[in-house]
Amino acid sequence: MKRRTFLQLSGMTAASGALAGCQKGNEKLIPFLVPPEDGATPGIADWYASSCSQCPAGCGIVVKVSEGRAHKIEGNPRHPVNRGKLCARGQAALQELYHPDRLRAPLKRSGPRGSGQFSPIGWDEALAILADRLTTISAEGAGRRAILWTPPLHGYLADLAARFGQGFGRLSHLAWEPLAPAWRRGSLYGHEARIDYDLENTQYLVSFGADFIETHLSPVRFGNAFGRMRQERPTVRGRFTYIGPRLSLTAASADRWLPARPGTEWTIALAMARRLLPGIEARTLSAAGLDRAELARLVEPYSVSAVAEMTGVGAADIESAVTELAAIRPALAIGGEMLTAQGNGPAALRAVELLNLLLGSVNTPGGVYLTRREENSLESSPSEMTEALAAMQAGSCEVLLLHGVNPAYNLPPGFGFARALEKVPLVVSCGTLLDDTARLADLVLPAPANLESWGEMIPAAGTRGRIVGLMQPVVQPLYDTRSFPDLLLALAHHPGGGAGSALPEESFLDGLRKRHAPGNPAAWNEMLALGGIFPPQTAANERPRKRPLERPDSPAPAGNDPSFPLLLQVYPSPAFYDGRGAALPWLQQLPDPMTTAVWGSWLEINPQTAARLGISHGDLVEVASPAGSIRLPAVIYPGIRPEVVAAPLGQGHQGLGRYADGRGVNPLRLSSQPETDGGIPFLATIPVQVRGLAQDGELVTAGHSEGSYRRELLGI
Amino acid sequence: MKTRLLIAILVLPLLAAVIVGLVVFYHLPLNADDPDPIQPIAFSHQQHAGELGIDCRFCHRSVEISPVAGIPDVDLCRSCHLYIAADRPEIVKLSGFWQTREPIPWVRLYRIPDHAYFPHMMHRHAGLECRTCHGAVETMVRTHRVVSVKMGWCLNCHREHGASIDCWTCHR
Repeated sequence: MKRRTFLQLSGMTAASGALAGCQKGNEKLIPFLVPPEDGATPGIADWYASSCSQCPAGCGIVVKVSEGRAHKIEGNPRHPVNRGKLCARGQAALQELYHPDRLRAPLKRSGPRGSGQFSPIGWDEALAILADRLTTISAEGAGRRAILWTPPLHGYLADLAARFGQGFGRLSHLAWEPLAPAWRRGSLYGHEARIDYDLENTQYLVSFGADFIETHLSPVRFGNAFGRMRQERPTVRGRFTYIGPRLSLTAASADRWLPARPGTEWTIALAMARRLLPGIEARTLSAAGLDRAELARLVEPYSVSAVAEMTGVGAADIESAVTELAAIRPALAIGGEMLTAQGNGPAALRAVELLNLLLGSVNTPGGVYLTRREENSLESSPSEMTEALAAMQAGSCEVLLLHGVNPAYNLPPGFGFARALEKVPLVVSCGTLLDDTARLADLVLPAPANLESWGEMIPAAGTRGRIVGLMQPVVQPLYDTRSFPDLLLALAHHPGGGAGSALPEESFLDGLRKRHAPGNPAAWNEMLALGGIFPPQTAANERPRKRPLERPDSPAPAGNDPSFPLLLQVYPSPAFYDGRGAALPWLQQLPDPMTTAVWGSWLEINPQTAARLGISHGDLVEVASPAGSIRLPAVIYPGIRPEVVAAPLGQGHQGLGRYADGRGVNPLRLSSQPETDGGIPFLATIPVQVRGLAQDGELVTAGHSEGSYRRELLGI
Repeated sequence: MKTRLLIAILVLPLLAAVIVGLVVFYHLPLNADDPDPIQPIAFSHQQHAGELGIDCRFCHRSVEISPVAGIPDVDLCRSCHLYIAADRPEIVKLSGFWQTREPIPWVRLYRIPDHAYFPHMMHRHAGLECRTCHGAVETMVRTHRVVSVKMGWCLNCHREHGASIDCWTCHR
């Protein structure tokens, strides 16, 4: 090419590019076909109150809607749990509504199971397949059954599901998901109690693996209360000690972090109890049903120096924490998921709760408030879950109907869900996206998004007394979907279904209205406008249980097995919770608060360990356990014990839409915990080995881990 | 000295050419929006607003309560044309849209960029007539754009009427 031709051509390209940039053409003005009944004005937004269902906390939301489209979610200022605040997961729920891969019609499997080949069918056909099968099972009787698997249900939906089970007969309901409060079973408070920590009024807080700013029970409520504990009182700034092997966002907000070896956190609780015991009045002990001599025997071995040995934390640090706790009132100890998601979890949790009994911090200001949960609830125990899996494996389960759970993703493989599923002739999954479990199903039923649904949301923590958050559709449903309760009603009323008498309501909305405001449309509208039913808080009315106190077992320490010398901690991701948020690009793009990593998985390694293994920041590493191996980039993270590595839960889906599918890895695949092991997945202690594979692990971070870029450019 | 002169002789015309080019580029009518587009239905403002004297606000209902004036919903068009002139070809098109449950894809004439805030209702409350900006719509058989909405045009009018010309008034 001649130079002149080249210049001419490049000039023309530049000019046409510049011109094309201006040629937008006229836009379209699309009017309503029929204006909405409630008289929406174009250009003026309406705000509708509803409830968030991204985690069990049940915060109230208000949604900005204009021209029939939802476009912003904020916290509901009148909701007693979150008081106008909202977390990133709640904000991102908007993208669930507009997700491009949402299910738009019922799907029937057309290829081999797990191939992901489905063909759309009509609702009539889908309902007929399911209803016929359920009817046949209940008619044929003994030895055959159907299993309905949902997250724990509360209130009207629990009632409806129970009646549905009775109506069909031979249908057992499993209400369980990995991060549901099943970990509180066996606690001194009783897992049925509704928990509210009075952080605002406490002066000294100790958290044992409870990441209440990210994911623990009611993060928006407790994050807000924590801010008040620190800054609301003019003369007091509440102090906070965090105990756990990894520096989470919550731990990073503490005054003191005691990085105890995984599985030994509770020994610090007993060291604290040992120090407190002599000063405790007999009245307090007898009120809590405790025996001084028995307690003294229990805590005797846990002197500060002995505990320093066990936990691998400096004795001076433990001593300061113990002294402070003994001196400052009111004080509060809380135990959370990272404490209990290991072999000695329930006993360790009791050791922490014992501390509150000794401190006199149960049902008192600055302590933990327990109220009885009066609503009917369906919450299965972990053993019921393993029983259901055993029934599936034995081939006695003929229909598995799943709603709102994704066990193919977030149940460790040792539980054998995949094997069990193979023995079930008809697997039906309801949801908004084709998730990991739905891909293995025979029939997939599209559900409306949260913002298109009616419902109740009864918070299990963060309030004193029962409040009911209401969910209402803020937009017209976009697709031909059916909500789970309306699906149950449709099945019950299906010709030949024969369960209609047990479920007389016409629709879920109809039942909901009759339940809360029978024959009073004005009151119902007021409830919807407010966002729920928020009676004044009741007095604390639940007393701690009497359970035998025991020393928790010490789990196998790291390095016990020379081929798997490190312990992997899998923690619920602040962005994705148990993995459900991975479908939403806003959450994928949300930088992790500690590592600033986005759009992927990573492994946190202590700098010492990394140096020993020859691994540097961003390298591709392989993490192997007896159950398998995963590959992911390394993040050199000083906030973790040298013998512990950590990876967030949430990525590594097979399915769940285009943003989650195949992105990152699922660290739960490394768990070799067998299903016989209590049924609570042990996230905190998975023995692994780590080796470096390559230089570039394709780690993407929003910031520079070692400080700002500028600092590096300037060489300072 | 000689080299400097040479550079000046070579570079200065080039620089001048670039500047002239940019100025011409700036003033070129590059806005590709059609100011007189053909609409999906040949709706005549001359007939409706002119001959029949229907108030603008009968169709553009939210002009006094909302930033946007509002385009009539298909149901509103149909409520009259169910009986009036139902057999004319353009009205048959209208019923076609209604029957297929599709909104009419009207072609937009005026567009305020996203970085500027223009509320119709405030301008109506200030007593401005629709025609001040939109021209004599009641004489237009096919509606066309009468002004090019640019900042200078906004400012002139704001100055004339003593309205605020603070940046924040519109760019907020």
